[in-house]
Amino acid sequence: MRRKGYKYFLAIVLCFVGIHLVQIQIDYRKKLENLESALVLMPGQVAGSLILGGFKGLAADLLWLQMESYWHSGQHYKILPLLQAISWLQPSYILVWTIGGWHMAYNIYAEVKTPEEKQYWYEQGIKFLKKGLSYPFNANKYDIYFELGWTYYHKGKDYPNAVKYLEKAIKYPHPDYVDDVLAHAYEKNGQIDKAIKQWEFVRDNYVGFFDVATRMINDLKTKGKATP
Amino acid sequence: MAIIETKQLTKHYILGKKKVVVGLENVDLEINQGEIFGILGPNGSGKTTCLKLLLGILFPTSGEANIMGKPPYDIEMKQHVGFLPENPYYYDYLNGPELLRFYASLYSMDSDKADKRIEELLELVELKDAKRLALRHYSKGMLERIGLAASLINDPEILILDEPTTGLDPIGCRDTRNLLLRLKEQGKTILLSSHFLSEVERVCDRIAIFHRGHLLATGTLDGLNKQYQAENLEDLFVKTICAFDTEFAAKTGERK
Amino acid sequence: MKKMWLIGVNTFRESIRKKTLYIILIFALIVIGASKLFSFLTAEEELKMIKDVSFSAIEFFGALIAIFASLAAISTEIERRTIYTLLTKPIRRSDFVIGKFFGVSMIIFVNFILATAFFIGLLIFKKSPPNMDVFKTLLLIFFELILIGGITLALGTFTSDAFNIICSFFLYIVGHLTSYGKQLIERTENIIVKGLADMLYTLVPNYENFNIRDKIVVGLNVSWGYVGYTIAYGILYMCVALFIALYFFEKREI
Repeated sequence: MRRKGYKYFLAIVLCFVGIHLVQIQIDYRKKLENLESALVLMPGQVAGSLILGGFKGLAADLLWLQMESYWHSGQHYKILPLLQAISWLQPSYILVWTIGGWHMAYNIYAEVKTPEEKQYWYEQGIKFLKKGLSYPFNANKYDIYFELGWTYYHKGKDYPNAVKYLEKAIKYPHPDYVDDVLAHAYEKNGQIDKAIKQWEFVRDNYVGFFDVATRMINDLKTKGKATP
Repeated sequence: MAIIETKQLTKHYILGKKKVVVGLENVDLEINQGEIFGILGPNGSGKTTCLKLLLGILFPTSGEANIMGKPPYDIEMKQHVGFLPENPYYYDYLNGPELLRFYASLYSMDSDKADKRIEELLELVELKDAKRLALRHYSKGMLERIGLAASLINDPEILILDEPTTGLDPIGCRDTRNLLLRLKEQGKTILLSSHFLSEVERVCDRIAIFHRGHLLATGTLDGLNKQYQAENLEDLFVKTICAFDTEFAAKTGERK
Repeated sequence: MKKMWLIGVNTFRESIRKKTLYIILIFALIVIGASKLFSFLTAEEELKMIKDVSFSAIEFFGALIAIFASLAAISTEIERRTIYTLLTKPIRRSDFVIGKFFGVSMIIFVNFILATAFFIGLLIFKKSPPNMDVFKTLLLIFFELILIGGITLALGTFTSDAFNIICSFFLYIVGHLTSYGKQLIERTENIIVKGLADMLYTLVPNYENFNIRDKIVVGLNVSWGYVGYTIAYGILYMCVALFIALYFFEKREI
């Protein structure tokens, strides 16, 4: 009865061998499916994780709520550190990046006075979006590409870059207006042929855009430009 | 024929690196079928240790214990043994019948038989009126009585009782005593420990006196009285224990 | 086999009679409160937050129940000395231990099912019926809870209550930091340090494996393969806990 000890010991060792093998599989799949928590060696992040254990998502939510309240009370600068913190806690939460980029390149942009400051915040917005893209799990979704493309197109009038990112955005599942914006970007970038092709695509695929697209194609073909 | 038997049974509790407390030292006991055997001794003398070793709750340092010729961990043997622990606590969220039914199921009794047995036992320990009461509302005496019923649920051949009368009022004590005598008539073997000398005196066929883990004396009350030239059990008890303490003090150089 | 079942059922009955299930009410209040709190957000944000809060609450309260039910299962049984009346019955010590594992798992399961039902009801009410990903997350949370219970139970066979609680919570936190540990290991040059760290990585219960909710709520996909391997991991580690419990309990003097 009391001599069973070694059997249990053996069984435990065997189980751990199994665990080791299974863990290798799990780690492999984590890499494959982008499930790893990103390790950024920021003291704040490690300390946060230590305290939060498995509840990072919850912490991100609390910060998000705080951000909303700053937002509605117009305290735009206070949002920045919160955005930073949320992006550490949950980098796969794509809204952080898109809203954060928009916030810098639009809201704060509008708030500051001098052109130098405006340029600075525009660049900060772009930088933030690109940082979001550096996480592999964000790089296979249209969201950030579109936000980047739109910011280049609309705010920066930087059409080559706008085209570059919008072309990436349409590679992934996306809503119809992305194709629409890309067509506009082609035109502004001087790529009229591509713009026409893109409008044709829009016309053939999205019923709601049929009239607009037809008119655009017509204008482009006759006047060489469509957007007033 | 000995139905319960210990051979050189020894239990040391290891507390620290060099600190060892003797729980039981070289105890040889033989308890015969059909007798009521009482283990007597002051608190901490090793009575409970001995019972726990017999039932496999503790493991001996050396020596061995057998019940019906089987070691303490034998499952088949336990089917025929009933045990009442000291100051028993039970699952206090259950009521009396539920508790007994749970124990009955652990003895693999079929449910018709168990129900009948539960009725009988509740009648026997006079808890029939408290059927719906959860055990946490029981008084101390009621707990002791439901404990006794629980230890009898399997109609055991051997009944082991640790301090069965603590917490009982005089009438409860008398009822328990009568019950034990009745069980003896049915041919059951009963092993009980107690420090109530008068109780032991009235029911036990043979007794053993424990002190500091040592077995000082064992035999029938009359025989022991004669052997130690004692007038009664109390006298015998004091005499044996004082004799041992003097010897013990001399051996260890302990001053008192 | 039957005796394990009996002991398990009795353990479960204890938790019902002692009203541990009331903790589910707290869970319900938190989740309802959360859904009211978030109603000013956009639908997408609100849904993310309801899921975050619910998953976290299911895990957190589940972990509490798992730890305290497991503590009660062996330590309390010893402390209240009810165990004497069990071990003197025709029951093997292994029956007792396995029965307790079983009983605690039942307690966790029922709590989990109630909380999950509530959460899914809320999702349906919010017009976003749960998809497969939600079920995958819940499945892994369930296995994590069972494992937490098993480990606490195993610790209970050879430690005191206070130490057990500290250990269980400590392992819970460390077990969630393992993926950081792994990435640090990969950056280590020293072979000895690396070897030791790798061993530790295998020995510590890797609770982070079970945590896919942060990924699911933001719309990432997790394959069934991953879920399957993680469940296998949970079952294997559960066996370790069971063998440890058996090893110590067979020798335990009470």
